[in-house]
Amino acid sequence: MMRQDAAELRALIARHKRWDVVFGVVGLLCLAVGLLTFAALFVDMLVDGYARLRPEFFTEFPSRRAGQAGILSAWIGTTMVMLVTAAVAVPLGVAAGIYLEEYAPKNWVTDVIEINIGNLAGVPSIVYGLLALGLFVYEFGLGQSVATAGLTLALLILPVVIVATREAIRAIPGAIREAAYALGATKWQVVQGHILPYSTGGILTGVIIGMARAIGETAPIITIGALTFIAFLPPSPVMAEPPFISFEWLMSPFTVMPIQIFNWTSRPDPAFQANAAAAGFILVFMTLAMNGLAIWLRLRIRRNIKW
Amino acid sequence: MPEPKPALESLPLKAHAANLNFHYGDFHALKNIDMPIHDKRVTALIGPSGCGKSTFLRCFNRMHDLYPGNRYAGEIRLHPDNVNLLDRAVDPIEVRMRLSMVFQKPNPFPKSLFENVAYGLRVRGINRRAILEEKIEEALRGAALWNEVKDRLHEQAFNLSGGQQQRLCIARALATEPEILLFDEPTSALDPIATASIEELIAELKARVTILIVTHNMQQAARVSDFTAYMYLGELIEFGWTDDIFIKPKNPQTEAYLTGRFG
Amino acid sequence: MTEHLSRQYDADLEAIRSRVLQMGGLVEAQILSAIECLATGNVELMLRVSENDRRVNGCEIEIDDACAHVIARRQPAASDLRLVMAVSKIVTDLERTGDEAEKIARMARQIHERGRLQIPRAADVRHAGELAVAMLRRVLDALARLDAGEAERIIAEDATLDDAFRGIVRQLVTYMMEDPRTISTALDIVWIAKAIERIGDHAKNVAEQIIYIVHGTDVRHTAREASRYGQGEPDGAE
Repeated sequence: MMRQDAAELRALIARHKRWDVVFGVVGLLCLAVGLLTFAALFVDMLVDGYARLRPEFFTEFPSRRAGQAGILSAWIGTTMVMLVTAAVAVPLGVAAGIYLEEYAPKNWVTDVIEINIGNLAGVPSIVYGLLALGLFVYEFGLGQSVATAGLTLALLILPVVIVATREAIRAIPGAIREAAYALGATKWQVVQGHILPYSTGGILTGVIIGMARAIGETAPIITIGALTFIAFLPPSPVMAEPPFISFEWLMSPFTVMPIQIFNWTSRPDPAFQANAAAAGFILVFMTLAMNGLAIWLRLRIRRNIKW
Repeated sequence: MPEPKPALESLPLKAHAANLNFHYGDFHALKNIDMPIHDKRVTALIGPSGCGKSTFLRCFNRMHDLYPGNRYAGEIRLHPDNVNLLDRAVDPIEVRMRLSMVFQKPNPFPKSLFENVAYGLRVRGINRRAILEEKIEEALRGAALWNEVKDRLHEQAFNLSGGQQQRLCIARALATEPEILLFDEPTSALDPIATASIEELIAELKARVTILIVTHNMQQAARVSDFTAYMYLGELIEFGWTDDIFIKPKNPQTEAYLTGRFG
Repeated sequence: MTEHLSRQYDADLEAIRSRVLQMGGLVEAQILSAIECLATGNVELMLRVSENDRRVNGCEIEIDDACAHVIARRQPAASDLRLVMAVSKIVTDLERTGDEAEKIARMARQIHERGRLQIPRAADVRHAGELAVAMLRRVLDALARLDAGEAERIIAEDATLDDAFRGIVRQLVTYMMEDPRTISTALDIVWIAKAIERIGDHAKNVAEQIIYIVHGTDVRHTAREASRYGQGEPDGAE
């Protein structure tokens, strides 16, 4: 009797294991579709634009002659805009996240705010562009400048930063919090000494993911009027004479990588297509590098945290 | 004849609860508790799950203030200055600076051993290296951990074993020289050997500090405590010398719990 | 009282209790047989008493072992603890009572072998023997019912048995002085009377343990006036 049961059992297990294999294969195929598509695009851009990936490409301004066009103004513009975005989004987002998690009373008002932050993340980016046009460009008089672009993109990724901050804070076990409070710490001491340090990994990850998204946003930048043919650079932040730091670059006109790519792809000349491919490759590379940085930072910071 | 125990009234008090009531929202969790906490003695709180012993313990250092919807009524008076710890006018931070707590699951901070023990001192504004080192050594010795870790104070706390982590938490609580040390089921997450070393530690510590311990293991209460309080459904059923309660309890409910005759 | 959450625990304690009562019954039979020996000189009976004493000793060992097991496995507290502690002492007293019965039977055999059929103060000795047996029977009954009031009364009655013993000795001394040829037999009777008095003492010890089980107070070696409990009403009846 027992032996018969064992044989039935084995047949049953074999049948179930077949499903394991089936799902394994299906999953792999789905993954492959996504990966292969991306890899194909990446390789395609590389192949098309390989010839243009010379050092001059990075140091030349755009030009009507495809062979002499470069992305200098574009990548400098991108870098400056990202700086402003980070400088605005991080403090605002982290502070808002900390307030919502630690200080806000748990009532319906807070719930409403929470729901709306989630909604903000889904607002189309062009709407942000329109908002920025009305508010920053005209109302505040900031013009079509690096500052405006930075502020717009900061608003765009603010929900991402807030949510990342909240999730990172929620991951901290209540036992740690109670231990800190039980030793006589005030709320701010607990936030500053424990909550912030332990959630830094999660916050950084969220910030970098947000920035990786912002770096490729084109619609809002176009809306606020970034120029597409810039043959000059914004003024340098660092000067030779006192006061050594200048903020003129914030108010300067600019362009960013996506815009430059957009501009080149809309030209019929195939040489410009090669330029666009090269620039696209560089943009993707920058995004991947930022994500890689996020992962590395998170691993390093979380090394000592075991929860 | 066995030596008569001193009369309860003659022993010095460190604290006492008077007519203490506590509500979690609508739920009346603690009902009219009157209980003395004798100075430099170990008092154990025992009772079945849900009887309110942890709730009662956490009233002492106002941990309930951290969560919304809780209400205290009545008093817990701390001696000798006779301040009511539950008074709205008394800052919970101040209360927590006078009483320390050790929790059920060891919860060291993800920092170095040094920084863990130093935290309570830093919160009090003590930052001078020399003073910190001295107080940390004293605390770690008090927790019977110094010899094991004196060469690796700057290692991460998470590298210690469970029993060592709990002793680290005890050192962290001792560093601030508390007036009462509150233990909330400190050994339920530990193996028997680690448990025994913590119980040994408690027996040594009571010469320096008053101890209040919650335990669901009544044999542990029998081993470590001078006084035992049996609680059931939020009420204090019986309080007395541990020896008396375990050999000759006065209340039949206490008897039923101790002999495993619930039903 | 409700039952333990562990049925096995209840069963263990119940087994110990019933073994003790069984042992008590055995000892009671031993005493009755021994007194019978004195009256009839029945050699067979005397041999049987000697044999049964081995059984009594075996009970003591068995019950003590069972108590050790309960302590090791259950860490008894409160009334369970007092019960186990008391049982350990009670079986010692019962075993010694058995020894006294065996001694009486042996003495009886010696007297009858010497051929002296005239036993001085026989009626008094028999009367004392019956008192002692009654005390033992009542204390075993009180143990079964955990009746502290009855235990208290038994403790008080030990005085009566002590008086009876002293009376017998006084009479025997007079007897010995009158006729020195009776000294050997008379001395044997004294030892028998002493054994009976000791049986009463053991019964009193068991009664003291009953009070410890029920009330948690140790009344050994205290003056009688200092321990007053429940006059005439059974206490702590199960």
